[in-house]
Amino acid sequence: MENKHSLYKDTLMKHYRQPHNKCEGEIEGADIVQRGANPRCGDDIEIGLYLDQKHVQVDQVKFRGRGCSVCIAATSMMTQAVSGRSIEDVRKLSAEMREWFHNSDGHDIADPPDDLQALDAVREYPARRRCVLLSWEALTDALDRI
Amino acid sequence: MPATLHDMNLATQWHSAVSKHDFPLLHSSALGRNLHYLDNAATSHKPKAVIDTINTAYSELYSPIHRGLYPLAEAATEAYEQARLSLQAFIGASAADELIFTRSATESINLVAQGWARDRLQAGDQVWVSRMEHHANYLPWQRICQEKGAELKIIELTADGQLDLARAEDLYGPRSRLIALCQISNVLGNENPIQQVCANAQAQGIPVLVDAAQSVSHLPLNVVELGCDFLAFSAHKMYGPNGIGLLYARAERLQEMQPLLVGGGMVDEVGEGIAASSWIDGPGRFEAGSQNMPGALGFAAAADFIESLGRERIHQHLQQLTRHARTLLGQIPGIRLLTYDSVPLSSIVSFTLDGVHPHDLAQVAGERQVAIRAGHHCAQPLLRSLDLDATARASFAVYNDRSDVEALAEAIDYARRLFG
Repeated sequence: MENKHSLYKDTLMKHYRQPHNKCEGEIEGADIVQRGANPRCGDDIEIGLYLDQKHVQVDQVKFRGRGCSVCIAATSMMTQAVSGRSIEDVRKLSAEMREWFHNSDGHDIADPPDDLQALDAVREYPARRRCVLLSWEALTDALDRI
Repeated sequence: MPATLHDMNLATQWHSAVSKHDFPLLHSSALGRNLHYLDNAATSHKPKAVIDTINTAYSELYSPIHRGLYPLAEAATEAYEQARLSLQAFIGASAADELIFTRSATESINLVAQGWARDRLQAGDQVWVSRMEHHANYLPWQRICQEKGAELKIIELTADGQLDLARAEDLYGPRSRLIALCQISNVLGNENPIQQVCANAQAQGIPVLVDAAQSVSHLPLNVVELGCDFLAFSAHKMYGPNGIGLLYARAERLQEMQPLLVGGGMVDEVGEGIAASSWIDGPGRFEAGSQNMPGALGFAAAADFIESLGRERIHQHLQQLTRHARTLLGQIPGIRLLTYDSVPLSSIVSFTLDGVHPHDLAQVAGERQVAIRAGHHCAQPLLRSLDLDATARASFAVYNDRSDVEALAEAIDYARRLFG
């Protein structure tokens, strides 16, 4: 059912239907839990960061919450993309993502990890950018608390 | 639901009276000509008659209002005041001096909150609104009540979304200073029993403000018969231009109001101190700065356009479309309509679809050339009470027809299959 003009690429729908690292209940045992909410559209998520002992690497990110397909899929992709990376790398990627969406005419991310490239289609829908960035903003806020 | 012969005859008659051909954006623009525009509760498109009037205002009449002594300025001023007279007739006010041009319905309500209620509210007083108010008729009251130590009281809703007046104890009590209600909810589409509330309130000497933003384009309106003290609406939701609205204030109330803006045009004599300054009489006192004459003329042209079709006929047409939408949407598995059979139909259908976020519904619909709204519709207190974050909303206008409703239902069913 892929429509090349559609926002709803197969990769996005795959992450929406079967999100990675999504908890149904509480996020348990995380080092940092951070909420991200957009009351204007009702997206409301919570992400949990699991760090290594030295606090230099993000071992895993889990999330829970509710939102539109773009929000849920983008959050799923985010958890997949940053789990196992150094905090420095995660900060850099997070900044790149925000730049990528705030400046739709700007450069593409040189080598978007994993499935993030599928979000390229969303850049053409300014009203949905916030849905993509909500989890990345929550991630940045969480990193600022380390 | 197949159309009855009666419905089809009405639709044919209606189509000959008005259609998308009368609306340049919907008829011939690149982004509009194939669009099923169903976001009319947010804003409506403009008929050629309104656009032509605004063009004429700029190309033949434009000059300062209430300031110039040359023929062009006199003609512009006369046109501006003529627009006020037309709108007076449109809402059935006793005098044109009871009509204040503002920038929007929002500004009109803020003007009442800050220009009238501020000097009257005291600690312990009550201002009543309902659970279904748009933020524009909620936040101004929340703010002024907090500032003055007054209490913002909420008329809650019954299970079928109507005002639960029986539960609103003290609505007409001795501490009630103002009742501010929408005539039609921008989410539920409910028409509220404003006349009944006004009659009860009037008996106790409590003023009523009516937010008529969603009703003025299709409900017959006479402010004297309605018995309200204030009534607010904007032009852009009734086929008129953006950036102009109206506040009707009954003469007695208008006398009690203080201007929100001070500046050019509204002052009689500037004194040494502000207390020594005096304001002109009439609505001009509330229209500081250069008046929006092209807007006022477009506003009056929109009222003429509505009158030419007749509000009762418009209302019937919109009810038919709403009924059709309820029927077609109601057949889609997982749909939940937020309007109820027990409530009279208006022009708005809000709904949710199990498993699909309203933003996705609106996006998928948009990709299929159906423009609907998704979100909280500036009515967060209502959505919270319904335990919803967002809904999708379709709202109808004179240029819509059954094919728009069918495209809507098809798009929503497509979204269901896409996300299913």
